[in-house]
Amino acid sequence: MNVRHARGPERMGARRVLLIAVLAAAVLIGFVAVQNLASSAVYYLTPTEARDRHVATGTAARLGGQVETGSLRYDPQTRDLRFVLTDGTTRVSVIGTGAPPSLLREGAGAVVEGTFASDGSFHASQVIAKHDEQYAPPSPGATPSHQTP
Amino acid sequence: MIETTAAPFPTVRVRPWLGRLAIAGSLIATFMALVWAPTDAVQGDVYRIIYVHVPLAWLAYLAFFVVFLASLGWLWTKRPWFDALAVASAEVGVLFTGMFIVAGSIWAKPTWGVWWTWDPRLVTTAVMFMMYVGYLLLRSLSTDFSRRATRAAVLGVIAVIDIPIVHLSVLWMNSLHQLPTVLRAGGSPALDAAMGMTLGICVVAFTLVYFAFLAERMSIELDRQRRMFEARA
Repeated sequence: MNVRHARGPERMGARRVLLIAVLAAAVLIGFVAVQNLASSAVYYLTPTEARDRHVATGTAARLGGQVETGSLRYDPQTRDLRFVLTDGTTRVSVIGTGAPPSLLREGAGAVVEGTFASDGSFHASQVIAKHDEQYAPPSPGATPSHQTP
Repeated sequence: MIETTAAPFPTVRVRPWLGRLAIAGSLIATFMALVWAPTDAVQGDVYRIIYVHVPLAWLAYLAFFVVFLASLGWLWTKRPWFDALAVASAEVGVLFTGMFIVAGSIWAKPTWGVWWTWDPRLVTTAVMFMMYVGYLLLRSLSTDFSRRATRAAVLGVIAVIDIPIVHLSVLWMNSLHQLPTVLRAGGSPALDAAMGMTLGICVVAFTLVYFAFLAERMSIELDRQRRMFEARA
């Protein structure tokens, strides 16, 4: 091989430039990525966001919020699932088919995929339970919630 | 001439002990995770996957950060030892990432109700996995040692940006994946003390596994380098 490798100060200069260029590129790419991700990527809309954006009936959407206490109903015979999804400000009636995930509970989080109907209710094709980041053993005497129907 | 590494990696004394410690740590961690740690009030016993999923994720972040440092080391010094460290750590990182993605999926089905969804945490994790698989593929593209090492090092420096993005994604955007339980600002870790201790032991065990794998893979790579440089000389 007849390749001339840089020696001494020339080599250090070339290395420094390469290193700085690579680090600068990394920072630039990272900055652009963060900006784009944070502003444009939407996984789900809250009920209030969906209302404010006037999501059209029939358009596929994903909503996230909490299952309103007292609203969760599931009939195993008809496989009819109903609950109200709320973000504290706006309430959306969700209608689904089939048994919900066992972690779906009143007062806990949920994400639903589907479409809005003309009456404002949301017909869900997929119901996903969301749990928080807390982990703790059940308090003495209390039945763990995963064991209660 | 590229300078070759002067001394071989200390293969005799360290590696067997790393292996033994890793095995011992794994046994202790398994017992604590499956038996000793309490059940969770909300999720029941399925939450125990946390003791595999979280340590693997953290070790993958560490592995890719090591790739970043080793890449800088190669770019700055051109010593082949850094390239060996980079490829070894990248391979272990890719392995651990694949494993924690699968563990997460297994956890997701009985809890969330789906095997997968394109929420910000999962998307950014999939991107991180692809980038480092790409890192390994990039290395197979050239046969010239120095060019391969430099190209890989450039990618190794750039790709590390995704790690904080993966972690912070749940804080920046609406996501299905819950907020961080341990690595969060303000407030102590949101888990019971016994669970926290178990998680700590599991992290230690997986760290030993990481170093054991890293040492083995580096030693293989340094052997290859030695043979390659001897063949040239």
